Amino acid sequence: MRLLSRALRAAQGGWAAALLHPSRRAAPDRGSAAGTCLLLLRCGLSARPGLQELLAGPALRRLLEARGAGGVGPELAARVQRLRDKEQELRETRELARQDESEDLQKLAEKEIAACEEEIAELKQQIVLLLIPSEETDESDLVMEVTAGVGGQEAMLFTSEIFDMYQRYAAYKKWKFEILEYFPSEIGGLRHAVASIAGLEAYKYMKFEGGVHRVQRVPKTEKQGRIHTSTTTVAILPQPTQMKLQINPKDLRIETKRATGAGGQHVNTTDSAVRIVHIPTGIVSECQQERSQIRNKEKAMQMLSAKLYNAKLEEETKKRNSVRKIQIGTKGRSEKIRTYNFPQDRITDHRISRSVHHIECFMLGEEKLDEMIQTLRENADYESLMEIISENEKKNLS
Amino acid sequence: MRCLTHTLLRRLSCLSTQCVPGRWSQIFSPKRSSLRQRCSARPGVVTATSVVNYWQKVFETNGIPEARESSEYIVSFVLGAKTFQSLSSKSLRTPLTAAQQEQIQQLSNKRLERVPVQYVLGEWDFRDLTLKMRPPVFIPRPETEDLVSLVVEEESLMYEKNSGLCFPVSAPHPVILEIGCGSGAIALSLLHKLPQSQVIAMDKEEAAVDLTRENQLLRWGPVDFIVSNPPYVFHEDMASLDAEILRYEDLDALDGGDDGMTVIKTILALAPSLLKDSGSVFLEVDPRHPNMVKDWLQAHSDLLLVLCAVHKDFCGKPRFLHIQKQSR
Repeated sequence: MRLLSRALRAAQGGWAAALLHPSRRAAPDRGSAAGTCLLLLRCGLSARPGLQELLAGPALRRLLEARGAGGVGPELAARVQRLRDKEQELRETRELARQDESEDLQKLAEKEIAACEEEIAELKQQIVLLLIPSEETDESDLVMEVTAGVGGQEAMLFTSEIFDMYQRYAAYKKWKFEILEYFPSEIGGLRHAVASIAGLEAYKYMKFEGGVHRVQRVPKTEKQGRIHTSTTTVAILPQPTQMKLQINPKDLRIETKRATGAGGQHVNTTDSAVRIVHIPTGIVSECQQERSQIRNKEKAMQMLSAKLYNAKLEEETKKRNSVRKIQIGTKGRSEKIRTYNFPQDRITDHRISRSVHHIECFMLGEEKLDEMIQTLRENADYESLMEIISENEKKNLS
Repeated sequence: MRCLTHTLLRRLSCLSTQCVPGRWSQIFSPKRSSLRQRCSARPGVVTATSVVNYWQKVFETNGIPEARESSEYIVSFVLGAKTFQSLSSKSLRTPLTAAQQEQIQQLSNKRLERVPVQYVLGEWDFRDLTLKMRPPVFIPRPETEDLVSLVVEEESLMYEKNSGLCFPVSAPHPVILEIGCGSGAIALSLLHKLPQSQVIAMDKEEAAVDLTRENQLLRWGPVDFIVSNPPYVFHEDMASLDAEILRYEDLDALDGGDDGMTVIKTILALAPSLLKDSGSVFLEVDPRHPNMVKDWLQAHSDLLLVLCAVHKDFCGKPRFLHIQKQSR
């Protein structure tokens, strides 16, 4: 446990260093997300030479051996093979340089050795990244639920702003954002809303946004200029594919306004609201966003399946007792994750104790929010990697 | 074959002409506005919510059905949204402009004449499409959205069967004939869902005059699917329909004759000549019709048509028939 928290601290230091060298982030041969990740590891590790040794030395080999026994993916296997080849090449070049005394050849060998070493370091980092397990749900689309918490009208105003922020973030990431439910308050706030977000790696990013967001400011409704603290809760539910969640139509009760009377051509009513009850669990979802009834039904089904899937996942997580600091799922939902302090124009994420300024810019849902989420992702990756390595080391010790 | 199809088309184009136009409008002539009552109180601050509440009251006072919904749809439409629930919190707190209020007033006045909301707005949604709505063209009902799903499912089923073969025949482009297309809701939704298909949509008005379409149909030959939401209301039920329907919609699109089956029977009688072998007819009908159609098909076994499934609508009423042509 101590190892873990130290690793985390090292990772935070690493991130600060990474920000100082933006040019290094744009390594040509990797995707930018992976690039920052690698750099984070590099910096994090250099900040703690003990850990670097852990990876450079036998710890990584032992981990690979343990993994190799369980069968590794083709991508990982290819890199491990390449690593072996490169190490062999390095040994040979060194041997050659030792034997030959020609100055030109020495220089050439030096160059080759340096290139080899660089590629070996690179390969090790890539291997390490591939060892980080991806979650079953990472590739999913998602359903986002925002609900005003404590703080009355002010909380609802803030909830509306948070909802808008994610809508803009989805546009920034070129994701599809569709409102499924929307319950505004009288003065322009938002009590509760649900939206579906779909697109490349949407859940992988958005899962870090689930939790309690706290706002500290003087509300528009406050006459005496006192600072209030209010909250809004964000829940991020992965959207299951049909493969992952089968719903028996017999378990559903679909309620519409047309239920009575002759129906069909005999009537022409316009109320297209749909309410779906999942009888075994009592979970309910409803939609009246659309004029088309079948579209309302589709949207309500989307929400229902996300709710059912989430209940199933929660059940599964309960069994696994993870010690990670960045929690996703139920445990994280009641956790206060971030504070938006308006008087100080500062946003603090409590999970990584990181603060940034310019709330207005942050809430545009563009680079600043994206950077925050990237940092969280990298920290989470780092945590899970450290967990894997230390677990493997523990096994080796025992 | 050409000649036959020609005759068939002529018969199709004469479908359901027995309903006498004007008969209903005499009985249900619109009550003049002298009867209309106005609510006296106009709201002070004009927000979307207050306007919706105001017109809801006006509609209720004047006995307009779905007062709340009507008011919400009209106000949302003027504010650029489809439903009241999809208005953003921002547009809810922004006061309405004079022009917007004026437009709401105009549309609401139409609604006070019992003009269906869909005609008031001039548009409505059917599945993924927003369609223009103009009197007296029949307004698509929500049940019919499921009729489209049935055809789409059948098509994907046929496609799957085909792709299971070792040497599948290249994916065929289904040819679908829609009889009585009205606003085009079914035909356009099918095209949207099955972009590789060819859909022939016909209606008695257009078909009667449009010779080009007949020629197009001739070129296409027999079809994979016939889909229709034919007039199926029993003639005796017509008098009890709401004013919105009786005054503004084309009653020919609703009145199915004494047993509600006049057009249904004509379509079924012609189907064998129009369909490919194993082709299907999908019909929306009255809940009393499935048994009647089954009996009728048994009495007309020479048509080689079999009622292979009855599907329920979202209210649980038997509403859709899947009838298949037997291959010889």
